[in-house]
Amino acid sequence: MSIAINKLTKTYHADSEFPVHAVQNVDLEINSGEFVAVMGPSGSGKTTLLNLIGGIDTPSSGSVMIDGKDIAELNERQLIGFRRDHVGFIFQDYSLLPVLTALENVEFVMQLQGLSSAECRRRATELLTKVGLAAQMHKVPAKLSGGQQQRVAVARALAPRPRFVMADEPTANLDAQSTAELLDIMQQLNSEEGTTFIFSTHDQRVIKRAKRVIVFEDGQLKQDQCQ
Amino acid sequence: MMLFKLGWRNLWRQKRRTLITAFAIALALFLSLFMRSMQEGAYQNNIDNSARFATGLLQLQHPDFSDSQSIEDILPGSDEFIAAAKSLDHISFILPRIESFALAAAGDKSKGVAVIGAVPSLEQPYSGIGDKVVAGELLKDVDEGVMIGQGLADWLKVELGDELVLYGQGYRGQTAAGLYPIKAIVRFPLPQLDKRLVYLPLSSAQQLFSTGEQVTAWVLHTDEIAQVARVKQQLIQAYAGQAVNVRDWLQMAPQMAQQIAMDKAGGVFMMYLLYGIVGFGLFATILMMTLERQREFAVMLATGLQRVKLLQLIVIESSLIALLGMLMGLALAIPLIGYFYFNPIELTGDTAQVMLDMGWEPIVPMSVSMQLAVDQLLVVSLLMLICLLYPLWRAYHLDVVSGLKGDQHG
Ligand SMILES: Nc1ncnc2c1ncn2[C@@H]1O[C@H](COP(=O)(O)OP(=O)(O)O)[C@@H](O)[C@H]1O
Ligand SMILES: [Mg+2]
Repeated sequence: MSIAINKLTKTYHADSEFPVHAVQNVDLEINSGEFVAVMGPSGSGKTTLLNLIGGIDTPSSGSVMIDGKDIAELNERQLIGFRRDHVGFIFQDYSLLPVLTALENVEFVMQLQGLSSAECRRRATELLTKVGLAAQMHKVPAKLSGGQQQRVAVARALAPRPRFVMADEPTANLDAQSTAELLDIMQQLNSEEGTTFIFSTHDQRVIKRAKRVIVFEDGQLKQDQCQ
Repeated sequence: MMLFKLGWRNLWRQKRRTLITAFAIALALFLSLFMRSMQEGAYQNNIDNSARFATGLLQLQHPDFSDSQSIEDILPGSDEFIAAAKSLDHISFILPRIESFALAAAGDKSKGVAVIGAVPSLEQPYSGIGDKVVAGELLKDVDEGVMIGQGLADWLKVELGDELVLYGQGYRGQTAAGLYPIKAIVRFPLPQLDKRLVYLPLSSAQQLFSTGEQVTAWVLHTDEIAQVARVKQQLIQAYAGQAVNVRDWLQMAPQMAQQIAMDKAGGVFMMYLLYGIVGFGLFATILMMTLERQREFAVMLATGLQRVKLLQLIVIESSLIALLGMLMGLALAIPLIGYFYFNPIELTGDTAQVMLDMGWEPIVPMSVSMQLAVDQLLVVSLLMLICLLYPLWRAYHLDVVSGLKGDQHG
């Protein structure tokens, strides 16, 4: 279960006068169970890289190979299925469905996989308990704090047992305390469930907790080190 | 199932907008259905009244009679001939008649008149002809006398008991002539009829015109006006191969048919206008419902919702609004239409007087018709589908990357 990125390039407005080279010629390998931070200033291409790896965006050239298979070969339907089953997403603004409770939000993505409602309920309850929201399961997102919502989002991302989780600046909207709690939870799940975590950030406190840090600048990989 | 739950809850994120939209649909449906039910009720009432007053809903005639109006172009008046019609369902009246022309004379006055020969005991429950008698009494089925219009009596200066000479041309060129005592004077609200109508028993008319057992028309009435077209087809089949022309009220009273068609077109136009206005509201609501959630949709697509399911969700949400509107509209319309069905609107003023003069009840009855309601529901459904096209197209082409960035126009 590895991700192999070869000469990955994404250029926006390629045919225009001012093409934007969001990601340029990136080679990268990420193995199963890693806990990787992608850092870099705003506009350096972090989001684009995560979208390319997660199968949301398509490369201009180069490839993203998951277990030796190029995801560019999947059609839209297969790609959505791939994301549903193998990739968890965590967004900066939590992006929970506002009309569903915490529990239902977590169940929803599993229902998309066709799991039985008993199984969905069991795993959702288990995950929400792990992220410390056993008492808040039946609340809708508006009734939860930002930190709590992001913890629901973490549970949602992990619920379908994905191979890796993409978290795009997951702590950007959180205070210090919530950030620390969320990182604890992500690290715990990373070791317990063995799920690969890739997250972008420019928060030094977050970077300190990562086992591997990839530095991005102007769409190019500048540094890649384990700590 | 989960899409239904999600869709239903999504409706109430904008409670007011959803309710206003559903209510607009409800109001349009209610007004349209109420108006159409009233229209159809009035048409049926008019058609029925006029049919009973004159031509019936259907007639069997000789193929040449409609052009010639001649006593030469007639049909058998036998039970054997009419048995085929009698065996059909949904026919409530079958009346043999002779309609022709003659010269009426009394003293030194004379005038061209319309002669109607009919069976009074059959006609009375159909047209209520006896109720129009102002002097004397309704003829018996076999009777040597005649009834004449008040206007004609005035013109000829005759009274009850005076004698009337009818003179004209009978079947196969024979001379038609007879002397009849005036047994009754009837008052018809239409002056052109009142001034020239002579009414006598069928048997007398057959004798006068030497037609034997034949008639110029068999007048038929169906249980319901909506059955006319079907019964007409059945009659055409039943009398195929014989020299019989089946005519319906549309052919016999083309002016009324045209008037109804125009009035109906006006109503339908109003209805579409109403739905058109409501359609804009519905379109705006559905469009907003999808455009303001581009990011949410992108997140759903990113986290594994297939695009077809996303389109389904949009269809479900719109359908629920339309359904809500339909239910509210029907809930409003059904009791009101029901009330006015059992308590028809009573007319007043000149219109009422005209109807009273004709011997008709001055009311506008409601038509209670499943078809009318189904029509409205279909129009709302169609409207919703049209309103869905563009929002669905947008959702179909929603780009996940730009959707996630919150770029609505990507
Ligand atoms: N859809 C897009 N169209 C055009 N330019 C884009 C698009 N997405 C990102 N970019 C550009 O690509 C570059 C990298 O953006 P991004 O990956 O969002 O960086 P980061 O997440 O590190 O802030 C930026 O210059 C950005 O303006
Ligand atoms: Mg970014």
